This record gives sequence, structure tokens and C-alpha cells, in this order.
Amino acid sequence: MKEIALKIGKPTPLTAIVNTPKQLDQNKPAVLILNSGVMHHVGSCRLSVKIARQLATSNILSLRFDFSGIGDSENRSGTQSFHETSIAEITEVMDYLEKKRGIKKFIVYGLCSGADASYDIALVDQRIIAMVQIDPYVYRTWKWYVRHYGPKLLKLKTWVNYVSRRIYKTKQPLGFSKTVDKDNLEIASYAREFPKREEVAAGMKALIARNISMYSIITGGQSEIINHSSQFKESFSDVDFSNLLTVEYYPKMDHIITNPEYQRIVIDNICTWINQVIDNT
Amino acid sequence: MNPFFFGNSSHPLYGVYHPPSALPHKKEAVLLCPPFGQEYMRSHRAYRQLTLLLNKKGFPVLRFDYRGTGDSYGNLEDTNLSDWLEDINVATEELKQTAQVDSVSIVGLRLGGLLASAASKELQIKRLVLWDTVASGKDYQEELSQEIAKFPGSLGKFIDQNGTIHFNGFALSKNQLQELHKLDLYQSEPLASQVIQISSSENPAEQKLKSNWANKKNFNYQLTPAPGDWNFVDDFGGILLPHEIIQEIVRLFDNSMQDAK
Repeated sequence: MKEIALKIGKPTPLTAIVNTPKQLDQNKPAVLILNSGVMHHVGSCRLSVKIARQLATSNILSLRFDFSGIGDSENRSGTQSFHETSIAEITEVMDYLEKKRGIKKFIVYGLCSGADASYDIALVDQRIIAMVQIDPYVYRTWKWYVRHYGPKLLKLKTWVNYVSRRIYKTKQPLGFSKTVDKDNLEIASYAREFPKREEVAAGMKALIARNISMYSIITGGQSEIINHSSQFKESFSDVDFSNLLTVEYYPKMDHIITNPEYQRIVIDNICTWINQVIDNT
Repeated sequence: MNPFFFGNSSHPLYGVYHPPSALPHKKEAVLLCPPFGQEYMRSHRAYRQLTLLLNKKGFPVLRFDYRGTGDSYGNLEDTNLSDWLEDINVATEELKQTAQVDSVSIVGLRLGGLLASAASKELQIKRLVLWDTVASGKDYQEELSQEIAKFPGSLGKFIDQNGTIHFNGFALSKNQLQELHKLDLYQSEPLASQVIQISSSENPAEQKLKSNWANKKNFNYQLTPAPGDWNFVDDFGGILLPHEIIQEIVRLFDNSMQDAK
């Protein structure tokens, strides 16, 4: 395995790290590892580095990079949204690998905003053959409400609190934790907004029609949206995923995956899944 | 900025060299020693911001990752303290060569301050800026342990049966902790032409250091109230960008040291 730091694109280059395996097969897809929110290309808890290095042991080339303005990539001027610039920058990186390494197919991986960017690029670029998403777009279903509110409705305390709030109207303002000074906390330049479910469902159908394989890992960090293992497929009940979708739900795993055992599971499962996709391609 | 791998080819380190962006170019380069674990993730943006501001004042700057961390070679569990001290040494030499200067100053944040202080004894450092520094390895372990005790049953913060501390996604083994215990700024002072302790709050450990070193001619203390909860982590990996203290460090570098007194 050889790791090289690169600057890709003009006029303001993006910073990237390419993991090139000992035996590079140009016919194998390369894996693109995207930023998660404002975290730089090392990834949450160094996951991006570990995934890249494990993929290299299977002779899979990977590239992790920073979108402009994030991590080690400089800002680019312009008024485009993150949605627009992320697509343009991933395309730029794929063009580079195609031109310099002869690679024509790609798998994208991302957590949170990286999952969103994976979906966005998969929709518009035919070179994407598969995507791995941690905490992708998902939507509440009636079962979510039952599971979320059902147990609470059976507790006396819930009703007492409800009545108290109605009487005293003691609504607490939403805001930052007292331990965080919001003036000094840089919020992600990408504010995560979920598109309408119908829009994503249509996108999923388009991806399925192109035979794109999808692997979704859902953490307990999105419990305000998803709270049971079958919900992802149920929230897209109008989409026939055929055998192209693999979903795993880990309710005890946090969004940035701080537990070492879950880190190992995520890394192993992602690398195994990618190898299977490549073997079947 | 120039991202690159440097040092021994059997265990290369990742760094980003930032040449000065304004004239006159200073003959003094600045090395940034990062903190550990989630604090490293949380401070990455702050270090980049500090770098760009120092560049605008004419200073060349090198940011880098210790072995087993960030993009540098190796697994965290396979590294030890002496590796990290050696890495600071290697990064200092790399910076001198790249920037073509003889004089290097170091900024160390949190554990980076403690490590830079230990490494300073083998280096000729002009200014050593200790930003919210960890005062001793023992203090650091206690701090982590106290946080862990606040969250019993946490899957992200716990001490395992081998004595390894797991804290917000990163781990320090019992051996690594024992090595860290050898570092103690209460007992052993850093070696630099100028030592600047800059704190975001008046915590007891840093106050003790301040009083220990108060009579040293080459010592300056600066309190700049700013957010400094480096060990806090939110659900989404939010980062900390304390502008006040970043700007203060730039001012300290830009002005004569007399102003800092």
C-alpha cells in the first residue's frame, strides 16, 4: 500500500490522500471517501483512514479528500450551494482518477452529509456503481410514532408533565448546551436538510433502475427519525429495491461511532460489502 | 498549502506546510503540535485558522499528525510516547529545511503542549506557546477518568478490563498511560528561549504552573477568556473555533515579547 497526498483541481485545488494498493487493477472500481459534516478527511474517529487502509489490503484503491473550505482544502469563491459544489468536486476527483489511473467506475462512501453527497453524485454520474451510507435520508413512518410515543403514553408522568405544561406554559427555549458557546462553535457549512420523501423515493427508483448497489448503516444517533430496523425499507415502501439494498440498524451505535467494537464492525462490514460488490461486478 | 508525507519512509508522517503569504517572510517558522483524540478532530479547524493568520504575518507553518493518529502511518495502539516525541523532532527538522530557516517556535494545544514541552529538551526552540496545556500525564488521565465516571454505562467513554481508557472514539492503553505519567510540567520545565502559557480559563492546574514559573525571566502568562472545553463532544462531531485565543496567539507572535508581559 502506498499513500500519497495530492492536490486535485484548479484554480483552487482540493487536498486528497490516495491509497494505492500494491497491485492496482484499473478495472476495479475505486472508493471515494467523503467528508462528514465539517470533520476533515481523517473521518469521525479516524474511520476514513482505517477503511481506506483496509480496502488497500484487498487491492482496492481509495481516495479521501476534503471538499473546498473543509479540512485541508482551501475555500473556493462562488455562490453555489454545498449540494452543487459537492457534486462538482466529486466529479473533479473522479475525472482525475480516470485520467491519471484509468479508473472508470467508483463506489462512494459517506456518513451524514457524506451520505447525502453520495446519493447526490450517484444520481447524476453514471460512473458510480454503488454507495455506502451511514445515516442516510430516512423518514418517519406511523410505526415510528407508535414506538416513540406508545410507551410514553402509558406512563403517568407523561400525562402529569403534559397537564403541567398546559397549565404553566413553561416552554423551554431550544438552544445550545450551556457548555458550548455558540459564537465560537462553527456550525457545519452544510446544514443538513432532508428533501421530501417522494423526491428521495424517486431518486432511489432511478438508482435501482441503473442497478446501483446500496449499503445503509443506520445508527441510534438518528432515533428522532428512525427507531426500528425495518423502518428504512418501510419509509420507501413504494420503492422495489430488489436485492440491491442492504440495511443494518444499530440502535446503540452513536452517530459518530465512538465505541471501538462498533468501529470494528463498521469497518469490517463496509470493506466486506465493497469486496462483494466488486466481485459481483 | 502543501500536504505531504515526510520523515522515515517506514513510518511516514502526514503534514501540511503553509508558506508565508505576506512579506516580509519571517526567519522563524512555527510548528503546531496537535492534541489527542477527539480533541484533535475538534481543533483541526482552529489550527488551520491559526496557521492562515500566522502566514499573513509572514510566518511559515507546519501542521502535522503524530504516528498512529490522523493520516500518519500506523495504528494508535502500536505507538508509544517516545514515537510522538521523536515525531516532533522530525517535524521540527522538516520545517527548518522546508522553510529554510534556523529558528523554530512551537504551539502545543492540550496534550500537544505537554508533548512539545518534553520534546523541547532535545530541540532549540525559540518560543514555546502552551495553549490550554495539559500539565501532566497524571492530570490528563485523571481528567479523562473523571469524565468517564460521569457517564456510567457509556459505550463511548469507559475503561476496559486491560486498563485501556476509551474516550470519545480514541483509546490510550495502560502502557501508553504509564508512559504519559513520566511527563510532568510541575516537576520538569520546558526548554525554550521564551515560554508562553496561554489559557482560556483559570483552572487550578494551569494556575499552579503559572505560579511555579512566575519568577522565570523567559516566562509569560496570558489569560484570554475563550471557550476551551476541548474534551466535550456533541452528537455530530462539532468543532471548536475560539477566535479570541487564536488572535491572541497571532498577536503574541507578531509583537515583541515585551507586549506579552
